[in-house]
Amino acid sequence: MGHKILVVEDDGATADYIASGLDQEGFVVDRAGNGRDGLFHAIDGNYDCIVLDRMLPSMDGMAVLGSMRAAGVETPVIILSALGSAEDRVAGLTSGSDDYLTKPFAFAELLARIRLQIRKSKGSGPQPETTLSCADLEMDLLSRRVRRAGRPIELQPREFRLLEYLLRHKDQVVTRTMLLEGVWDYHFDPGTNVIDVHISRLRKKLDEGQAGPLLHTVRGAGYRLGADA
Amino acid sequence: MRLIRSATFRFAALVFLLQLAGALLLLAAVHRLTSAELSQNARALAEELRDDLLATYRQGGTVALAQTIARRTAPEREPSSAILLAAPDGSFLAGNIAAWPPNVPISTPWAVIEIYRIGQSAPERLGVVATHLPGGERLLTGHAIDNALRFTTVMEGAMLSTLLLAIALAAIAALVAARLIEHRLIATVETARAVAAGKLEHRVPLDRSGDAFERLAIVVNAMLDRIAALMTELKVVTDGLAHDLRSPLTRQRAMLERALGRTQEEQARLALGGAIEESDRLLAMLNAALQISRAEAGLGRELFVATDIGRMLADLEEMYGPLAEERGFSIALATEPDLVAPVHRELLGQALANLIDNALKYGAGEISLSADRRGDAICIAVADRGRGIAEDQRAEALRRFGRLDAARRGEGAGLGLSLVAAVARLHGGTLSLEDNDPGLCARLTIRPEADASGPGARPASG
Repeated sequence: MGHKILVVEDDGATADYIASGLDQEGFVVDRAGNGRDGLFHAIDGNYDCIVLDRMLPSMDGMAVLGSMRAAGVETPVIILSALGSAEDRVAGLTSGSDDYLTKPFAFAELLARIRLQIRKSKGSGPQPETTLSCADLEMDLLSRRVRRAGRPIELQPREFRLLEYLLRHKDQVVTRTMLLEGVWDYHFDPGTNVIDVHISRLRKKLDEGQAGPLLHTVRGAGYRLGADA
Repeated sequence: MRLIRSATFRFAALVFLLQLAGALLLLAAVHRLTSAELSQNARALAEELRDDLLATYRQGGTVALAQTIARRTAPEREPSSAILLAAPDGSFLAGNIAAWPPNVPISTPWAVIEIYRIGQSAPERLGVVATHLPGGERLLTGHAIDNALRFTTVMEGAMLSTLLLAIALAAIAALVAARLIEHRLIATVETARAVAAGKLEHRVPLDRSGDAFERLAIVVNAMLDRIAALMTELKVVTDGLAHDLRSPLTRQRAMLERALGRTQEEQARLALGGAIEESDRLLAMLNAALQISRAEAGLGRELFVATDIGRMLADLEEMYGPLAEERGFSIALATEPDLVAPVHRELLGQALANLIDNALKYGAGEISLSADRRGDAICIAVADRGRGIAEDQRAEALRRFGRLDAARRGEGAGLGLSLVAAVARLHGGTLSLEDNDPGLCARLTIRPEADASGPGARPASG
């Protein structure tokens, strides 16, 4: 059974777009057109992730989030907002949301972030991992060594962190913005696609001379590390 | 010169001079009054003596008068008065003055002269009255005012030391007055400084004194209220604009993406991809324009965090390094250690990324990133070896939506450098474009807030 997603969005066209997109990806989607309905759904339903608009009629998105958390609902929440300044984003993230996405957004970006949140909340628990792997690729987090098919791969520190991030999100689409935030810890528009060059270097080290490629480019979205094409 | 122009100094000087003038005036008045009183006194005594002697003369004639005078001027009585009875030809008849003083006419109502009395070794100052007697004889009566004058001298000495004290007191009064002004103004100055540093909620505390300082405070507070209202207004407008423009952009992007997903026709996919790109560019411009407006308005200072600038440049060098290499550039990094300052990490990162991006677009060969501390400012420079920007075009380059030439068209919105300038101003600094000979050196100077580097007593200039 697909994961259950609640979309709280007052703009009909945007809500349609998100809902149909998620439906195609196999999610079960509920919709709410205003803040109050959204809050009722969020408290009643057992959702895996909530996509919450910030500016909503009848009850502001941040108020919905606050009431929800006060009621003990720990469902991951991705705020979707037209308010995109750094202050707004920080305010959103510090008041209990798990991610903040600015409108307009690429659907792939939203999808990647929803998957990330679901995976995180169903996460493998608190025990720390010491090795990460994907097919014949292995990463030892303690000795900081990487091998593919038994052959060692030399990585720069940043490449190591990039690969670690990809391995932690293997088989998921990660967007350039997610990489910039997750690997470099910056949130700005780098103008030119600086990330692409890092990825292509990493790809060269990982995939050259190997049977099948592991690092894939997902058109219009970002990248995915996985055994299948 | 600056000290003399200082209003506080002038005020203190005025207080000092007025205090001093007051003390001097008082002393002069006391001096005048005492000496007038003393000579008045001497004159009254001399006239009384004359009247006494005249009475004797009327009763007993010249002989009785001479006897009385002789008795009165007997040395054992140590008289403080002077008497001379002279014959009509001026020769001595009786008294304690040897001869008629030549500078006193026969009939003189009052004169002060210096003369020897018989039996005295030094000349004395005497106040004298000369009278022409009916019998033709002359009578001179006088009173020594030397003793009285001596008293005056002592008193004047005392007054002089009082004057010295008065000078010291005047200096203290001036100092206190100056400090009082400074103290009354300091709250206003501190408030203005805090607001300039982005703490918009600060107001000058009022003390209900109703004086000029409080009126100033009230006016300043009213001005600050107005500024705060304008800032709120700006925030509402930018937020509203962001929302109202982003919503249709979101729908547009959604439609385009969906259409892209449905068609397999290459021509259509190409067109849709292009449309999505353009919509993203539009969004990037909107974001940059909003970021600039907000930064110029000083919004976002609450997100300042202590950040190592050198570390940030190293991150950027690492981030852009591979791309630069691919395009035939090399990036050189030179930073001082411990360049930690409170900054808006995201905006400063964006600003530096813009500069590096520009260097990659218009530069050639080497790009150098450097940062160093200059006094209380931190100077970050991004320099390239490209064609540079002619000096007369640099202002245009910094203007919002300013474009230099057709060759640069189509790459970005012309907002990159104005965002950098706005970010610099948000950090109390400036962006300057300089000649790198050849190439362009963009120098971003930021001034970490004064309260981090102690109480800055310097007046802000420029």
